Amino acid sequence: MSDTLRARVERLLAGVEQPSRYIDCEWGARERPAATYRAVLAYPDVYDVGMSNQAIQILYDALNAMDGVGCERTFVPWKDMADAMRGADMPLYALESCDPVRDFDLIGITLPYELTYANIVELLDLAHVPVRAASRGEADPLVIAGGPCAYNPEPVAPFFDAILIGDGEEAVAEIVSAHQEARAKGLGRAGVLESLSAIRGMYVPSIHGPEMRPITKRVARNLDAHRSPECPVVPYKDVVHDRVAIEVLRGCARGCRFCQAGMVYRPVRERTPDSVVRDAAAALACTGYEEVSLTSLSTADHSMLADILRRLTRRLEGTGVAISVPSLRVDAFSVEIARLLGGGKKTGLTFAPEAGTQRLRDVINKNVTEPDLLETVAKAFSSGWRRVKLYFMLGLPTEADEDLVGIGDLVTKVLETARDVTPPSERGAIRVAVSVSTFVPKAHTPFQWEAQIPLEEVRRRQAVLRAHMPRKGVELSYHDAEVSFLEAVLARGGREIAEVIETAWRNGARFDAWTEEYSLRRWLEAFDECGVDPRSIANRERPVDEELPWDHISAGVSKAFLRIERGRALEGATTQDCTVAGCLGCGVCGTVGAENVLAAGHRG
Amino acid sequence: MADGRFRLRVCYRKAGPLRFLSHLETVRACERSIRRAHVPYAVTHGFNPHMKIAFGPALPVGTAGEREYYDVWLESYVPAAEVLSALARSARPEIAAIGAVYVSEHEPSLTKAIAIAEYEVEVEGGDALQASLRDSLVSVVAAGVLSVEHKGKTKVFELATALPKEPEVRSSRGRVVVTVTVRIGERGSLRPDALVNAALTHVADHGRVVSVTRTDLFVEDGGSVRRPL
Ligand code: SF4
Repeated sequence: MSDTLRARVERLLAGVEQPSRYIDCEWGARERPAATYRAVLAYPDVYDVGMSNQAIQILYDALNAMDGVGCERTFVPWKDMADAMRGADMPLYALESCDPVRDFDLIGITLPYELTYANIVELLDLAHVPVRAASRGEADPLVIAGGPCAYNPEPVAPFFDAILIGDGEEAVAEIVSAHQEARAKGLGRAGVLESLSAIRGMYVPSIHGPEMRPITKRVARNLDAHRSPECPVVPYKDVVHDRVAIEVLRGCARGCRFCQAGMVYRPVRERTPDSVVRDAAAALACTGYEEVSLTSLSTADHSMLADILRRLTRRLEGTGVAISVPSLRVDAFSVEIARLLGGGKKTGLTFAPEAGTQRLRDVINKNVTEPDLLETVAKAFSSGWRRVKLYFMLGLPTEADEDLVGIGDLVTKVLETARDVTPPSERGAIRVAVSVSTFVPKAHTPFQWEAQIPLEEVRRRQAVLRAHMPRKGVELSYHDAEVSFLEAVLARGGREIAEVIETAWRNGARFDAWTEEYSLRRWLEAFDECGVDPRSIANRERPVDEELPWDHISAGVSKAFLRIERGRALEGATTQDCTVAGCLGCGVCGTVGAENVLAAGHRG
Repeated sequence: MADGRFRLRVCYRKAGPLRFLSHLETVRACERSIRRAHVPYAVTHGFNPHMKIAFGPALPVGTAGEREYYDVWLESYVPAAEVLSALARSARPEIAAIGAVYVSEHEPSLTKAIAIAEYEVEVEGGDALQASLRDSLVSVVAAGVLSVEHKGKTKVFELATALPKEPEVRSSRGRVVVTVTVRIGERGSLRPDALVNAALTHVADHGRVVSVTRTDLFVEDGGSVRRPL
């Protein structure tokens, strides 16, 4: 335990905002002073965001369950604290022991979204660990990444000794064991990396050459084999998701063609109601949380959700503990769930039609029709809601101005439907929030070859949309297109981007996911300095036979399938959900040796 | 569920690194420890049911508390000692419950009842600090009024009412410790570190406030004062 460092940290805390980001002492935090192997899980954003991440809690639990292994946490200090630490020459420390992160055996960094990339450099720099894997020596910790962005690892590959592709719960223990064994054999850093590269799903950038077979993602076949953490760490701070989170299913086979999560997390693996209810009850008892959230990409899709909710509500009756179900579908069932769970709270429901016309919804394979949406809205407003939020995307492949006009028309119909079912005295309260983001083409999706529309065109289309949007009762907002542009570059760039990230960081980039911190100019200067043209990455359509920077990474879904899906998209042909229609040959099940697992055995 | 019939007054501490918690964070932490302890807490009626609980005066971020209070209403009677040990097991020692007694439903709320707070302000500085700080405090108090800037606003305190007792200065473990007793009024109370900092501006050898701890809270009962529990 580093008491002197702790005392120095506390001295800094009097002068920074939100000091509860930097102390530990949380309920559920593990201290393992006798550990002979020490890992630290790092999240490339502030504590409040990182502590909302379920993967951190799952891996923290899994590592601390290992004999002789101690796992701690660290997050990126906000700018005021980072400046104070640099001023005091204080290295980044792990929360539990307050020991410097650089003294650990392993640093595991999550890659949650592209806009955190500059923070990875910030984190390593604050930790006094060489930013580039190639510059690390025998005394430096192993720096390993994993998480959603690992599916195109190239932009950050030079910062990591190894990158895990896919589910982490089984792989973490193998990584630690391999590291321990390699060191017991007296192997140096190169030897350690060699043995790590033998682990399934492990990408070691310094070893893996283009002539080698692609790295295929790790998959936990049966989620019920892994208990949800019984005593997750309970933050004091009001973090973004401040509740017990129980993952009820992983994967989604609906096949939206823009959605990376839908492609890379296949197949669908549901947990049984027994294990969901058991783990929720255990975690609530251990944490004292006032809310439990049933999480997944699309929780309403769970084949036995009604059963889970019935059992959980009965169990929690009279305790004041609430259940929440994020990610609603556009259907009456979802509204009914929200009604049952929300009690009298009618704060707002969110739906994502994504596109304004049926033609374009067919192109993206978003299986929502106008009657679905209007029926859902009618159900919501007649159940007492006075506000809904609708998500749309601008710049989808094949989008034309009619599709933007279509969003305006759809919103008009939503307003009319809401008015029809709302008592006249309450109609003044009707609000439809319309949130519009810019399409970002992502790796491993049928749209991975598509161009993002240039910024000027985004602005023109935003103006078209604004002109066709009803005014009264509508709150229209745009997700910052300049941010989506950078996201598109970081998501599909190659290894040349690493230097850009470092340069942008050196020029002051950090916390780019925080609107007020983001500066496109700073990034454009960095691209310029490094001689990289960001437009050729974001705004260029690629021929389908072009080599892609992520071709050596396999999410299990074959490139041929993605290509077929792209073709169907351009024809406006939809593709069904394989959990309903049967296997469509995307390839993942055979490649990873897993299959769709439905708790009920079937849909409906 | 019926209203809780048993009003339990709990004394807890907020210490060590947890002194950096805000009032809201402290409230949430205590509520969660009550749920973890499986105490039969009462839940309010209404659309958004929540635990029936009421806290004493808030502590600012960075200030520790040795004897802080909340009242929690229970559905059924459980011996106070039993609740206390369950609560003590359900929180980190830095924010654990240290006392519990049942109080009558007729007693005024903690925020109404608590009138006086006692603080210890630790100051780091040279050897001569103790004597010069004592003198300086005497003259600040003698001036009668103190204006304090906080978040861009100026508040003026009449020290004769704000300070029911003269501040005391002693030394402990190489540091100067000032005990400040303040009255908690309707319009807020004087922050003890503001008083000490005002005194420090008149002191030649530089001192620096390193920690503030609220050591005790009192209710006024007739002419005398007593602890709420
Ligand atoms: S391989 Fe077949 S069953 Fe498995 S996810 Fe792909 S389409 Fe669905």
